[in-house]
Amino acid sequence: MMRMKNNMHALKRNLTGYLFISPQLLFFMVFLVYPIFEGIRLSLYKINYGNMTFIGFDNYKALFQDEVFIKSAVNTVVFVICIVALTVVFALFVASAIFDKNAKYVSFIRGSYYIPVMVSMVVMSMIWSFLLNPSNGLIPFLARQMELPVVNFLGDKDLVLPVIIFVTFATNVGQAIILYIAAMIGVPRDIFEAAEVDGASRIRVIFKILIPLVKPTTIYIIIINIINVLKIFVVIQLLTGGGPNNASTTLMYFLYNNAFKYNQLGIASSVGVIMFAIAMVLSIPQLRAMFKTN
Amino acid sequence: MLKRKNKLKQEKFDITANVIVLFFAILSLFPLYWLVTSSFKNSAAVVKMPPDWFPKTFNFQNYIDVFSNQPALKWAMNSVIVSLVATVALIIVSSLAAYAFSKLQFKGKNVIFIIFISSLMVPKEVMIVPLYRIVDQLGMVNSLHGMIWPNVATAFGVFLLKGFFDSIPDSLRESAKMDGASEFRTFFKIMLPIVKPGIGALFILYFVQVWNDYVWQLVIGQEEGVKTLMVGTATLMQDLNPNFAYKMAGATVAAIPMLVIFLFFQRYFTRGISIGAEKG
Repeated sequence: MMRMKNNMHALKRNLTGYLFISPQLLFFMVFLVYPIFEGIRLSLYKINYGNMTFIGFDNYKALFQDEVFIKSAVNTVVFVICIVALTVVFALFVASAIFDKNAKYVSFIRGSYYIPVMVSMVVMSMIWSFLLNPSNGLIPFLARQMELPVVNFLGDKDLVLPVIIFVTFATNVGQAIILYIAAMIGVPRDIFEAAEVDGASRIRVIFKILIPLVKPTTIYIIIINIINVLKIFVVIQLLTGGGPNNASTTLMYFLYNNAFKYNQLGIASSVGVIMFAIAMVLSIPQLRAMFKTN
Repeated sequence: MLKRKNKLKQEKFDITANVIVLFFAILSLFPLYWLVTSSFKNSAAVVKMPPDWFPKTFNFQNYIDVFSNQPALKWAMNSVIVSLVATVALIIVSSLAAYAFSKLQFKGKNVIFIIFISSLMVPKEVMIVPLYRIVDQLGMVNSLHGMIWPNVATAFGVFLLKGFFDSIPDSLRESAKMDGASEFRTFFKIMLPIVKPGIGALFILYFVQVWNDYVWQLVIGQEEGVKTLMVGTATLMQDLNPNFAYKMAGATVAAIPMLVIFLFFQRYFTRGISIGAEKG
């Protein structure tokens, strides 16, 4: 009798829990979990409008023989490494220089770097496309004034990557700066005071105390930036269209074109699965850190 | 003596660093300054070299053109509807789920939670092909529904709100239940008001995220009537009209709502964005 009552109680408890999570779970299954499995399945087919033929791993084989895909993958890796490194270094520099200053000053600096993030990559790409326009943009004009050898930065296959890296970095670094400032303000003051009494210089304090203490923030910033740069798209579409001669194409741009321009849905799905795998592998350290604290 | 010299050197380092920080802060605002001032120039002044660093005349014609040549108001309305409905829906479903993961006990809770949180690291763009097919089967392509509902399928809300529920002592829930309140009533009347700051942060952060969800809106909203502000403005870039001032006016219109939101809700951003890192 007692046992049955207990069982009833447990059943009711479980049911309540499931009831609370079910709406979120429903969306999650339909628009996230199912697409992942469906994407893996589609990547094994050749899809021609209504016609689907099972071809095993042929899409993947084709991809690794496709120069444009290889170029997209290499570019994406270059973007991820350069943008993440620049972001972490610069954001650490900014945050460590200002975190202990007057609150108004901190909020001004934070706002200045964060506003481009808010305004979105679409708008920022439009502005940069105007600033860099070879015939009437401000930057080529200044380059001509300084008699630089190149003025069409986006049309030059060697310069196009550095320019995209810079634009993406400049538009997104504000988020990392906000995170670092919040983390550094949270560090107890007496740690610095003790170091100061010992005669440690500010640079030493920053490198030996501050940077190690904000390491969880650094890991978080690295992960979210990897994920963000992995799907880099807008800036490519609006600034270069992947050119010149595919010099600036990326995985996401390649995926989009295959899916919605060339109607190669099988190929596009394979690219998505590869990107999914990369994202999962890269995020393991963050996930591990998160579950340790929970 | 030595100590004082050291101190002076230190201050010099600090000042140099701050001058650099300030310089780049102003530089990072420059593209926006250029955007807004260019949008007020006429088609000749905007391409004049050397440029007018400050516009000589304030010309509103570009804005009039954006709103009369393009359904910019319609785009803006679509963006507001998509962002608002997706965000409110996410708040409703994810606050229920976050409460359950934080305070309720049920079978499989930890496994489901781990799967949930792992999905945070997967950008939905990589699954754009299968997602598009599903949305198509549901008849939601070229409709705002197609832009809204997939955005409710994120663990972001649960991730953000669970921490807020975790910080509420269990005793509060127990005493409410002792008084005979149902689970839902406890959640709705007692717990939800306490996590209001978390809901505020989630609202702001997610609203902006959906507003800027460009790739997905581009794919789903191909017909003129369902274009959003981001997609519509981006098409101005490919417009045949060679007037850059006109394009910049369009971009300014797309930027203003987010600028206003940021200026009014700065503290929510700072708090909301930091939550993920603190947990990491």
